[in-house]
Amino acid sequence: MFFCPKADRSGGANTGTFLYDAALSYHRPTMIEFRHVFKSYGRGLNALSDVNFDVAAGELLFIAGPSGAGKSTLLKLIAGLIEPSRGKIKVNGHELSRLPARARPYLRRAVGVILQDVHLLNDRSAFDNVVLPLIVTGHDTATAHARARAAIDKVGLSSKSKLRPVELSGGDQQRLAIARAIVNRPALLIADEPTANLDDASAQRIIDVFLDFHHVGVTTLIATHDRDLITRHGKRVLYVDHGRVSSHVLPSKKQPQEPQP
Amino acid sequence: MKSWLRQHRYAFGTTLRRLALQPFSTLTNIAVIALTLTVPLVGAALLTSLQPVTQQFSPQPQITLFLTPGLAAADGRATLARVQAEAESELLEVAWVPRDQAYARLRNQPAWQDALGALPDNPLPDAIIVTLQGGDAATQAPELAQRWQQWPGVDQVQLDREWIQRLQSLIQFAQLGLLLLAIGVAVIVLATVFNTVRMQALAQRDEITVARLVGATESFVRRPFLYQGALTAGIAALLSLLIAAIAVVFLNDALRGLAQSYGSDFLLRLPSWPLLIGFLVVVSGLGAFSARWSVTRNTRF
Repeated sequence: MFFCPKADRSGGANTGTFLYDAALSYHRPTMIEFRHVFKSYGRGLNALSDVNFDVAAGELLFIAGPSGAGKSTLLKLIAGLIEPSRGKIKVNGHELSRLPARARPYLRRAVGVILQDVHLLNDRSAFDNVVLPLIVTGHDTATAHARARAAIDKVGLSSKSKLRPVELSGGDQQRLAIARAIVNRPALLIADEPTANLDDASAQRIIDVFLDFHHVGVTTLIATHDRDLITRHGKRVLYVDHGRVSSHVLPSKKQPQEPQP
Repeated sequence: MKSWLRQHRYAFGTTLRRLALQPFSTLTNIAVIALTLTVPLVGAALLTSLQPVTQQFSPQPQITLFLTPGLAAADGRATLARVQAEAESELLEVAWVPRDQAYARLRNQPAWQDALGALPDNPLPDAIIVTLQGGDAATQAPELAQRWQQWPGVDQVQLDREWIQRLQSLIQFAQLGLLLLAIGVAVIVLATVFNTVRMQALAQRDEITVARLVGATESFVRRPFLYQGALTAGIAALLSLLIAAIAVVFLNDALRGLAQSYGSDFLLRLPSWPLLIGFLVVVSGLGAFSARWSVTRNTRF
């Protein structure tokens, strides 16, 4: 029940703005729209060029491509962490470039982000890291603690909740970042290489968490260069290479397929 | 409302945690600001204490005519009548002070008791104290004093306002100096809090990044820093009050004997409570303002 985004959204959250409420609505057919999006860093370094794609609400989408292809840039643009150089990005019906700066945090609360650099706070416990998004949104202590405990339990870190991130393994840190991303019951979940450097069992457990969210209607985007992972689940793939989205491939579960350039 | 209060409680708790994590740095900052604030506070105490001294004297110029010793009382009264007749338009008040009355008044002052006791008889002459009106009349005081000095039966003329004018000028100068000092101290408070918050913001870079990542507003990010600035400056202001109060006690111990030797009960005292509370509020506000300025400038990442 906890991980069903359609259930119990009251919980004392500080959802006073229409943006946050809008971000949590699931009736829109399209969650993400990219139209002629360019992103360049400095002079001549084009991370993304003329990117166009849609992601339906509730879809599980893999973003594949070699290192440096532009996957991380794509995810950061969706999360509103960076701005496009050109083009339009819509997330849950809101055009990001037209969203006032003061409204962005409210939209971001509806997006769970797990970056390659997990950005955990080493001066506080794993539990305190997970409870932070709920403090930011103004939940009461009892609700915040209950939700944080459930999120930590979901990623299998209950026994380590009092440890600090530096005392956790790389895999556990990744799981902790996922717990923090899901604790606010996001409408959109974005993960950048969440299974990188993990053993198969740990990787599978993390993917299972994402699948659980996908099954209850959360739009889920996973950037990865793990071909096995992509083919195993038979979902749509956005293949990014040299800053261009070159093809959409739907690989077969039984017969993994090479993305077509 | 509850959510708003919870966020403020969290921000306040975060501030206390950050301050407690660096106790030496925190205490050093508070001590520097407190000692800096103490200087104008003691200066304000001095001016506050001097204000009544100047106010108890007439702002109108006074001219005292000391008559020739041994002058007959009738001649003295005639001089008094002549003063009243000649300077009627400039006069506010004229008082006849007989030598016996002056002697009795002087004997009541401890500083003069011994000296007068050593004399065989009353050495004081009769005197006329003339209080002039303010404005244009006051400007004529030196001219009147000079003219009356020439009169027969007048031994000496003293323009009594000069020293009080000097004292008032001195106080005005000190007030200006105190104002400049207060501005300087305010700049020091601003700079100290600004730099402290800048260092703290850089140290909390990861925390700020994570908070923004999970949807924190800029107000949420800034709030602990504002509390830090206000709290640091506020505690420093309280400490400076304590230091100033202690300093005034010690200074008064030293001053009491000196004042008594002049027959005065002059003592230093801190400004009134409303002013001191205003001082605390203004300093805390300065701290919060500086913190906001600093955190806005130093968290653009």
